[in-house]
Amino acid sequence: MLSLIKSRSVLFYLPVILFSVFLINGCGDKLPENKSIGDQSYSLINQDSSKVIFPDAFKGKILVMSFIYTNCPDICPLTTHNMQMLQEDVKKDNIKNVQFVELSFDPTRDTPSILKEYGNIRNIDYSNFEFLTGKKSVIDTLIHHMNVIAIQGDTTFTKSGQPIYFFTHTDRITLLDQNGKIRNEYRGSTANTAEILKDIKILGD
Amino acid sequence: MVLFLSLLTLLNFNTPKLKVENVWLRPADKGMNSAMYFEIVNNSDNPDTLYKAASSTAELVQIHETFKKNGLMGMREVKFIVIKPHSTLTFKPGGYHVMFIKLKKDFKLKSEEEAVLYFKHEGMIKVKAVVKKQS
Repeated sequence: MLSLIKSRSVLFYLPVILFSVFLINGCGDKLPENKSIGDQSYSLINQDSSKVIFPDAFKGKILVMSFIYTNCPDICPLTTHNMQMLQEDVKKDNIKNVQFVELSFDPTRDTPSILKEYGNIRNIDYSNFEFLTGKKSVIDTLIHHMNVIAIQGDTTFTKSGQPIYFFTHTDRITLLDQNGKIRNEYRGSTANTAEILKDIKILGD
Repeated sequence: MVLFLSLLTLLNFNTPKLKVENVWLRPADKGMNSAMYFEIVNNSDNPDTLYKAASSTAELVQIHETFKKNGLMGMREVKFIVIKPHSTLTFKPGGYHVMFIKLKKDFKLKSEEEAVLYFKHEGMIKVKAVVKKQS
C-alpha cells in the first residue's frame, strides 16, 4: 500500500521534477543545430598559398568564421579586430581546439599574399588563425550556403587607371561546431565577443 | 579698460572656431585602402561644412559613410557634411570616415601621416594622423 502511494507521488511529481532538471541544466545553454556544411567540400587557399579543403581541414575543431574583403577600410577591419579579441580571450581562458578563419569574398583582389599583408600589418597570431581565398565560383557557392551575401558595386577608376569598387555585404561572424554545423551567427563589426566566447565554451563542453 | 577689451577681442578672434582632434588612421599596405577618423569641434555660433579631404599619400581621398540596408553593410561617398554650431561631430568606425584609396606608401603602426580637410567657412585645416590599431 505504502509503495503504491510512493509510486503515485512520483508520477504526480514527475513533470515538476523533469521541468526542474530542464531549468537547472539551462534551457538557454543549448545552441540550436542549424545548416551543416560538414558534408561539403570546398577547395580553397590560405594566406601561405597552401591548399585547404574546407571544412574538412578543420574537422574536430570549433570554427569561428568571418567574411571580409581587404579593400574594405571600415567595417571589415572591425570584424577582424573582433576576431583577434576573441582569439585572445580563447587563449586566456585556455580553451583548446578553436580555429579562427576569415574568408575573403573578393578573391579577384584578395590573393594569398594580399591576405598575408593584411594579417601581418595587424599582427595576426597565425597559430590558430587563417585567411582563406580561392576561385570566385567556389567562394560564391560557399558564402551562399553560409547565408552570406556580397554584392559588388560599380567600378570607377583612379587618375592612374586603377579600378576601385566596394561591396555591400553581410556583416557576419559564424560559429560552427566540430562537425561543421552552423550553431550561431553574430554581427561581425559590432560583435559581442563575450557572447561568442560563452557559445564557444558550450560547444567545448 | 579699452586696451583690455581690445586684447580680449583679439584673443577671441585668434581662437579657432573649428578644431579637428584625435585624428587617427588604420594601418594598411601600399596599394590598399585606409580610413581616417577624428572629431570636429565647432565652437562657433554658425554651422560649417566639410566638403573635401585631400592627402598626397593616396591616389584618391573621399569622405564616406557606412550604411546599413536590408541587413547588409556598405560604404558610399558623401559630398559634404554639416557641423552644427556648438557641437562635435565624430568620424568613427562604422560611421563617417575619410577614405584613403590606393595608398602610395605603407601606413605602418605608430607612423604619422598628413591630410587636409576643407571647410566652407573655416577654410583649410591641416591634420596629422597617427596610424594605430582599433582601441
